[in-house]
Amino acid sequence: MLHSYLPVIVFAGLGVIVGGTLAMVNGLIGPRRPSRAKDDPYECGLPSEVTRTFRFGISFYMIAMLFILFDIEVVFLYPVGVILRAAHSVFVLVEVIVFVVLLMVALIYVWRRGALDWR
Amino acid sequence: MDVTWYVVLSAVLFAIGAGGVLIRRSPLVILLCLELMLNAGNLALVAFSRAHGNEEGQVFALIVMVVAACEVVVGLGLIVAMFRRRLPLNVDEMRGLRG
Amino acid sequence: MTFHAPHIDYAGLSPVIALTAGICAVLVGGVFSARRQRLVVSVLSLTTVAVAAGLCIWQWGEREDLVAGALRLDELGLAGALIAILAAAVVIPLSWREPAAERPGSEPRHGEFQALLLSSVLGMVLLAQAQNLVVLFVSLELLSVPLYVLCGSAVRRTQSLESGLKYLIVGSLGSATLLYGLAFIYGGSGSTDFTTIRDAVGSGLTDDPLVLIGIALAATGLAFKISIAPFHQWTPDVYEGAPTPVTAFMAVATKAAAFCVFVRFFEVALGPAVDNWQPALAVLAAVSIVVGNIGALGQSSLKRLLGYSGVAQAGYMLVGIVCASALGVNALVFYLAAYTLMNLAAFAVIVVRERESGYGDGIKAFEGLGRDRPDLAWPLTIAMLALAGLPATAGFMGKLYLIEAAVDADYTWLGVAIAIGTMISLAYYLRVVAAVWMRPAAEPLAPEGAGMPAMAGGSPEADPLPSLAAATAAPRPGTRCLAILVPAWLMAGATIFFGVLPSPLVDWASHAGGALTPFLA
Repeated sequence: MLHSYLPVIVFAGLGVIVGGTLAMVNGLIGPRRPSRAKDDPYECGLPSEVTRTFRFGISFYMIAMLFILFDIEVVFLYPVGVILRAAHSVFVLVEVIVFVVLLMVALIYVWRRGALDWR
Repeated sequence: MDVTWYVVLSAVLFAIGAGGVLIRRSPLVILLCLELMLNAGNLALVAFSRAHGNEEGQVFALIVMVVAACEVVVGLGLIVAMFRRRLPLNVDEMRGLRG
Repeated sequence: MTFHAPHIDYAGLSPVIALTAGICAVLVGGVFSARRQRLVVSVLSLTTVAVAAGLCIWQWGEREDLVAGALRLDELGLAGALIAILAAAVVIPLSWREPAAERPGSEPRHGEFQALLLSSVLGMVLLAQAQNLVVLFVSLELLSVPLYVLCGSAVRRTQSLESGLKYLIVGSLGSATLLYGLAFIYGGSGSTDFTTIRDAVGSGLTDDPLVLIGIALAATGLAFKISIAPFHQWTPDVYEGAPTPVTAFMAVATKAAAFCVFVRFFEVALGPAVDNWQPALAVLAAVSIVVGNIGALGQSSLKRLLGYSGVAQAGYMLVGIVCASALGVNALVFYLAAYTLMNLAAFAVIVVRERESGYGDGIKAFEGLGRDRPDLAWPLTIAMLALAGLPATAGFMGKLYLIEAAVDADYTWLGVAIAIGTMISLAYYLRVVAAVWMRPAAEPLAPEGAGMPAMAGGSPEADPLPSLAAATAAPRPGTRCLAILVPAWLMAGATIFFGVLPSPLVDWASHAGGALTPFLA
């Protein structure tokens, strides 16, 4: 039982030794030329044109995030679509209605909270 | 159909994502890498689903897509909140909690 | 292609339905009641919690598959659900002063806070009953995602946002690893259902490479969630930065639900492969006990100390799973209940002192507590002694039970590890007790520090607004808030009660283990 773990231990040991050696060698002899372009979040090699003063409005983020959520939830309706022909059942209808009602609750919350107002 | 290459591809994607989470400093890029890891899982699920000929893996993958979107939205929300407070968006500089 | 609607047992699903309806009610009630939001929302969520608990107790003793085998209704799942619901019921009053207003002067958002808390509870109830890989993953995320938001909910405190983002990154890393592991287990066995996986693994897949990779990745992912060393580094940071009531909830309820699914996943689905995962989990448990206890020694913040102690306690509880016996599961469930009681008592006291003293959750805030506030000192003392495992407390009985299970399953060395860990842990738990009873009270800090723990490295310019809500909400020293004190006393009292008379709790826990007997040796 325990000897079946031997390959794992050998592998982990090798990983630590090889990885550690490479990291050390890199730190010792690797060139170090830090530049601003390398620290950019969007690393395309050129200095980023976007300055810090440029911003999307917060409303943009709000709407975008809400869009992602409500958009992706519709994925749950695809499996229903697959069986729709075969499913002449009240059960499926009720399932879909419950799902849509839950989404409605979320929409009411978002609307009352003012997240849909564009400021 | 040979499922091996799909699994190998998903393993490579997973490794790239995990490596990115560990070494990148911008929280936005880390979120991207997390997505990559989840999608590697999705690819494996769909490939295995095809190999086994049942659709459980496909349903799993659909649900994982929704979950991944929720995680990203929460992550973006937190990042926007930090941005509004003008906190450094660099996980190496988050040293408020250490001791 | 034909479609047959699955049979659905609505009585068995009733706790889940009640919680879902409650979440919608709290969310909508929160936005429609501007004035008396706290009252309306708290009444709604406490009712929801009470109804869900009642329905769980009503269903106690039933054993059946729900929703085409996606959920399993049995005592193990209900025990996890009840612990999570108890934690929520205590944390709701604890958080009455917590949710921060977005802007100074605006109304704090209790509706969101409690709706998120209840969503997390719903995730826990589902997780404890999950019997399918899909449900496992979805409910784990339903548990975690609201917690990420709750950790970052004190939007005007840098540490809170930071802890939220940190928890999100580490938690999602754990989820992604878990998902990849689940995909491999599905790939190996061809099913997402626990019992079908068990049959497939049992018929010659115990050494299948796909299944083995899957087990390793899934165990890693779950270890992130229950903060087993060496996947625990996020725990102290997140515990310290999150609002204290959220920390309390996270510490106890997440562990309870995640351990329930850990048991079900490993001992039902992966039971036939026990020889492969048992040694690995045993090593993780031992490492966790050592790392957690040694890490806690040098902490000066009580929340960090409890974070590290949580790592050690998770190690003790993992021993219950390593045993792979009904006795081990019983011991685990008993310890989960005891752990919930003692930690909630300790965190309730921290919530009060954090507001009063001005030292945040530093150990200095608790000096001289025995003389000034005996009503707070006693629950804290009892909680610390119980966590250390002194006799006549539930913590002692729990450890004894775990050691017995370990010895019974031929893992005597893990029993010894628990005993050694307990001895190390005395050093830091007793340090807190000594500070409470044997030191003079620390100089009270000037009011501008109130509610702002002195934290190294927190950039001062990033906190332009003094934490107004905390400062104005802080009661004058000496005022009593019964909503916090009563739960603290109740939890501490129950800790002692089940330490002296453990048999009711032992019976309760042994039902949970009994539910898995068909799958255990």
